Amino acid sequence: MIASGFFKKGSKLFLPLLSVAVCLSIWEVLHLIIGGDFLPSPYQVFKEGLRMFSVKIGGNTVWVHIYYSLRRVVIAYLLGAVTGLPLGMYMGWNRTFDKVVKPVFEVLRPIPPIAWIPIAILWLGIGEGPKIFICYVGAFVIFVLNAYTGMRYTDPLLIAAARTYGASRRQQLFNVAIPASLPSVFAGVQNALSMSWMCVLAAELVGAREGVGYLIIQGMDMYKPPMIMVGMIIIGIIGASLAVTLRWFERLVCPWRRDLT
Amino acid sequence: MENVCKQALIPRTPTPYVLQLKASAADNTISLISFIAFLMAWEIICRLGIIGPYQLVPPSQLVSTFIMKLTEANPDGGTLFEHTETSLLLALTGFSAAVIIGVPLGLLMGWYKPLDLMVTPVFDAIRPIPPIAWIPLAIIWLGIGLPAKAFIIWLAAFVPCVINSYTGIKLTNPVLTRVAEIYGASRWETFYKVGVPSAIPMVFTGLKLSLNASWTTLVAAELLAASQGLGYLIQMGRRLSRPDIIIVGMLTIGLTGALMSWGLNRIEARFASSKRVKL
Repeated sequence: MIASGFFKKGSKLFLPLLSVAVCLSIWEVLHLIIGGDFLPSPYQVFKEGLRMFSVKIGGNTVWVHIYYSLRRVVIAYLLGAVTGLPLGMYMGWNRTFDKVVKPVFEVLRPIPPIAWIPIAILWLGIGEGPKIFICYVGAFVIFVLNAYTGMRYTDPLLIAAARTYGASRRQQLFNVAIPASLPSVFAGVQNALSMSWMCVLAAELVGAREGVGYLIIQGMDMYKPPMIMVGMIIIGIIGASLAVTLRWFERLVCPWRRDLT
Repeated sequence: MENVCKQALIPRTPTPYVLQLKASAADNTISLISFIAFLMAWEIICRLGIIGPYQLVPPSQLVSTFIMKLTEANPDGGTLFEHTETSLLLALTGFSAAVIIGVPLGLLMGWYKPLDLMVTPVFDAIRPIPPIAWIPLAIIWLGIGLPAKAFIIWLAAFVPCVINSYTGIKLTNPVLTRVAEIYGASRWETFYKVGVPSAIPMVFTGLKLSLNASWTTLVAAELLAASQGLGYLIQMGRRLSRPDIIIVGMLTIGLTGALMSWGLNRIEARFASSKRVKL
C-alpha cells in the first residue's frame, strides 16, 4: 500500500524515467543479441559522436556541415517568406488576381517539394542552387497557402465595419485584413520552417558534398550505423532548436499571439 | 428577438470574405484564359529555344510523352501504371499500418495518464528527427526492398496520427465524460462511447496530414532506393536528361496525391461529419 502511494506520487517523474531506461536497455540487449556495428549500442553511438566532432568528414568538420545546411534553409526560408506571403495575401484579397493565379498554383501545389529534386538538378546543376530551390518550394507553398487562408477567412464584419467608417480599400487591407490574417500566417511560419528543414535533408541525401544530409548518407556508404545515428541526433537537435528559436522570436515580435490561439 | 440579434452579429464560423460572392461565369473564364495563356507562354518559350530541350519541354510534347508512357516501358523500365501501382501500394501499406497502430496509441495516451507519461518521452525524442533522415539507417537494416520503404512511410505517417488522436481525446468536453460517469459508465465505456467519438474530427485531420506525409516521404525514399515507382521514374528521367519524363512523373505524383486526399475527404464527409461534437 505504501509502495503504491509512493508510486502514485512519484509517477510523474518515475514513469518517464522508467520508460527511457527500459528503451535504452532494450536497445542495449538487442545490440548484444545482434551484435557488431549493425545495431550499435548507445555507448558506441556516444563514442562515435565524440570522434565525429574531432575529425573532418568529407573535408569539413561537423560544424561546417551544420553551417552549410542551416545557410541553405535560412536563405530559402527568407526568400519563401518574402515572395510567398505577399502573393498569398494578395490572392486572398483581390478576386481577379486570385482567379488568374489559382489554376497554375493548384496544379503545382499537390506536387511534394521533394519531387522537384530531379528537375531542380537538371535546371540548376549540383551546386547550392537546387538545394536552396527545393527548400524554397517547400516553404513558399506553405507561406502562400496560410497567407491566403488567413486573408480569405477574415471576418467580413470587420471589413464591412471599416467600410462603414469610410476606410479606403487600401486602409481596409492594411489596417484590417492583414492584421486579422496574422494568426493563420504565423501558423504557417512554423510549418514552413520544419518543411524547409526536411527538404534540405532530402536534397542533401540525393546529392551533396556537404551538409548534415551528407553526413548520414556518408555513414550509409561507409556502412557505419553509429555515424548515421549521430547524424540523425544532430538533425533532430537542430530541427528542434530551430522550432524553439522561432517560437521565441514569434513571442518577441507579436506578443498578442497567445491570445489568438 | 435578442437571440436573433446575437446570432446575426456573432457568426459561429467566420465565412470566407470572398466566397460569399458567388463565383460567376466570368470568373471561371478568367481562370481558363490565364491557364491557357500560361501554357501558351510555356510552349512559345520552349519552341523559340530560350530554354534548351534538356531543361524544359513544351506542354504539347508532355502530352505525347504521357500517352507514350501509358503503354511503353522504355526508357525507364515500366509503364506509368506500373510505377503508380508500386508507389500507391507502398504508400497505402505504410499509411494503413501507421493508422492501425498510431490512432489507438494516441487515443489511449490521451486517456490513460500512466501510458502518456511512459510513451511521451520516447516519442518526443524521436519526433524532431524527420522521417527522411531514417532512410540511410532503414536501407542498412532492411535493404532496399519494400520493408525499408514501408518502414519509413510508416514512421512519417505515424507521428501525425498519434499527435492528433492524442489532442483530439484530450479536448473531449469534460462535462460529457462526467455525465457518462454519473450514469455509471465505467472508465473504459466512457472512453469508447464518449471520448473516441468526440475525438473523431481531430483524428481525421491527423489522417489527412499523415497521408500527405506518407506520400512525400514515399517520393524521397524512391528517389534514393528503388527499381520501380514514381520517385524512381523521375530519378531516371534526370539520369537520362529527359525533362518530359520528369515533368510527367511530377504531375502524376501530384495528381495521385490529390486524388488520395480527395478520397479521404469524401470518407470524412460520409462518416465523421454527422458525429461531430461541438466543443
